[in-house]
Amino acid sequence: MNPFRDVWQSIFRRDPLSTDKGKSELVFLNLWLHIHPAKVHKEHFRVKHTGYLGFLTFYLFLVLVTTGVALMFYYRPHPPEAYQDMKDLRFVVFLGPFLRNMHRWSAHGMVICVFLHMCRVFYTGSYKRPRQFNWVIGVALLLLTLGLSFTGYLLPWDQLAFWAITVGTNIGSYAPVIGPGLRQLLLGGHTVGESALLRFYVLHVAVLPSAVVLLTMVHFWRIRKDGGLSRPLWKLRAEGSPPLVRIGEPAEPELRAVVLPAAREKTYGLMEVVRGKPLFEVVASAEEEEEEKDVVFSYPYAFFREGIALLVTVASVMALSLFWNAPLEEMANPAKTPNPAKAPWYFLGLQEMVSHSALIGGVVAPALMVLALVAIPYLDSNPSRRLSERKWAVWAFTVFALANVVLIIVGTLFRGPGWALVPPWVHIQGAE
Amino acid sequence: MKRRTFLNWGTAGLGTLWAAIGVSLGAVVRFLTPSVYYEPPRNFKIGTPADFPFGPPTFLADEKIFVFRDKEKGFAVASAVCTHLGCTVQYFTSDRRFHCPCHGSVFASDGAVLHGPAPRPLEWVEVTLARDGQLRVDKNKVVSASYRLMV
Ligand code: HEM
Ligand code: FES
Repeated sequence: MNPFRDVWQSIFRRDPLSTDKGKSELVFLNLWLHIHPAKVHKEHFRVKHTGYLGFLTFYLFLVLVTTGVALMFYYRPHPPEAYQDMKDLRFVVFLGPFLRNMHRWSAHGMVICVFLHMCRVFYTGSYKRPRQFNWVIGVALLLLTLGLSFTGYLLPWDQLAFWAITVGTNIGSYAPVIGPGLRQLLLGGHTVGESALLRFYVLHVAVLPSAVVLLTMVHFWRIRKDGGLSRPLWKLRAEGSPPLVRIGEPAEPELRAVVLPAAREKTYGLMEVVRGKPLFEVVASAEEEEEEKDVVFSYPYAFFREGIALLVTVASVMALSLFWNAPLEEMANPAKTPNPAKAPWYFLGLQEMVSHSALIGGVVAPALMVLALVAIPYLDSNPSRRLSERKWAVWAFTVFALANVVLIIVGTLFRGPGWALVPPWVHIQGAE
Repeated sequence: MKRRTFLNWGTAGLGTLWAAIGVSLGAVVRFLTPSVYYEPPRNFKIGTPADFPFGPPTFLADEKIFVFRDKEKGFAVASAVCTHLGCTVQYFTSDRRFHCPCHGSVFASDGAVLHGPAPRPLEWVEVTLARDGQLRVDKNKVVSASYRLMV
């Protein structure tokens, strides 16, 4: 009788990790790990395929939840206490500045990573059949991330926050018919005031994070159901080889028989026993042997790499937070407009467009952009994932992504007082 | 059960369900629309006519309005909220124009847009004389640029 072993075994029922059975059980007997397949393709975990950007986004979200909950212990969503609490977090609370910095920098990082993740999915053609719907979920997650960041922006209740949200919500009120009403509903008033702060807080700490959690679960689940990560571009099969089973379509009869001969030492997960082996991407038979060698247990191969990505994420955020403080300006003052007043940086492209035409730049163009993003997998009927075979799509997306980046850079760095074009290296006397 | 009875009940049931969903959505929107606004009043008194000089408009920062007083024409009140994205405009006596600090909109002294992205002229709001002799401004009532209160 070994009580320690009893306790251990009451928690972990798997076989030892030295065995193949143990390695698979580690994955599928564990609530948190079973989102992984028991085995993965090594090639799919190459940095040059995914850049780990989806992982980074998710980890940043975890950092945000952790630090966000910590901040909640010292934050009251009501003016002027909200601002006083931010001052306390900055100067009084032990570790307050550090946690607040971590929260702020990972919020920015999350917006950046989610955008880059989307770009990577586009360029590797990974939104194509059968993954169309997961792309749509992704677009929803992108919008939710922006929503989280936007609602969080108001919470410090300083001048930056107040005017960014004033300008930002006014952009929305240009939507015909529903715009002004929506803005009023969001703010719970005619201007940014105490009810707006409370509403943004509730959205920020309860509604939007829950939505992100739920959709992330769907996102991950769909990755599995769509046959795992997409095959890296350099592993795409030679042209002209016969298509295999496709999700959502009955398999063609001659293709059903791709079951590999059972190997005795191999552990089979249920999904491998299901008829036809879950091959959603095609492997020509000549490549099959190489394919087999590429498949390894998730433990430790995948977990090790994901762990490194997590460490890198947390370490980078911590390092940034040691050296850079999140901004905190004077308390919000509705009577005094800073010059220029800017929306949060990821909306500055929008603001830049709005400074040219309110309706087209602020409503029509962004609505079309979101619609186009959602529709990409359904409009793009080209089955090829090779960059060279989808010149038009690659070109169009690049223009879209670059236009956004350039507009944001112009809005952030090149717009001075009165929204005049001012390069960042020119200092304007008296401008704050 | 007869086919017809089944279909009738089925239609009625589905109709009720949709109606219930519609009503609930309406209720949610109504719930989120405050019945009381805890914000600076939109209808307020600003003092007696004698408090305001003739000449350049007086800016009231908390109310975000400009009070114009003209010898012949009387009182008029303009909202200081830029019609572009809601920043507070400033009046320059040098050129007798409103300038918005945010994105450079310029408005003439009658509120008309001269430059910049602002899509509409500045709003003129109703000013009336209350019984106690004070001027009362109602931001909920937008009036034309030619509106004047003679006192
Ligand atoms: C469950 C998740 C989250 C919780 C509980 C939470 C909680 C909070 C709280 C209490 C504040 C106010 C204190 C402060 O301003 O620092 C805040 C601020 C903020 N949050 Fe979050 N947050 C969460 C997730 C996110 C996410 C996902 C983002 C963006 C991607 C985000 C972006 C921001 C921003 C930009 C601020 C302003 C931070 C600052 O002033 O330094 N938050 N959050
Ligand atoms: S808010 Fe006045 S010009 Fe934009």
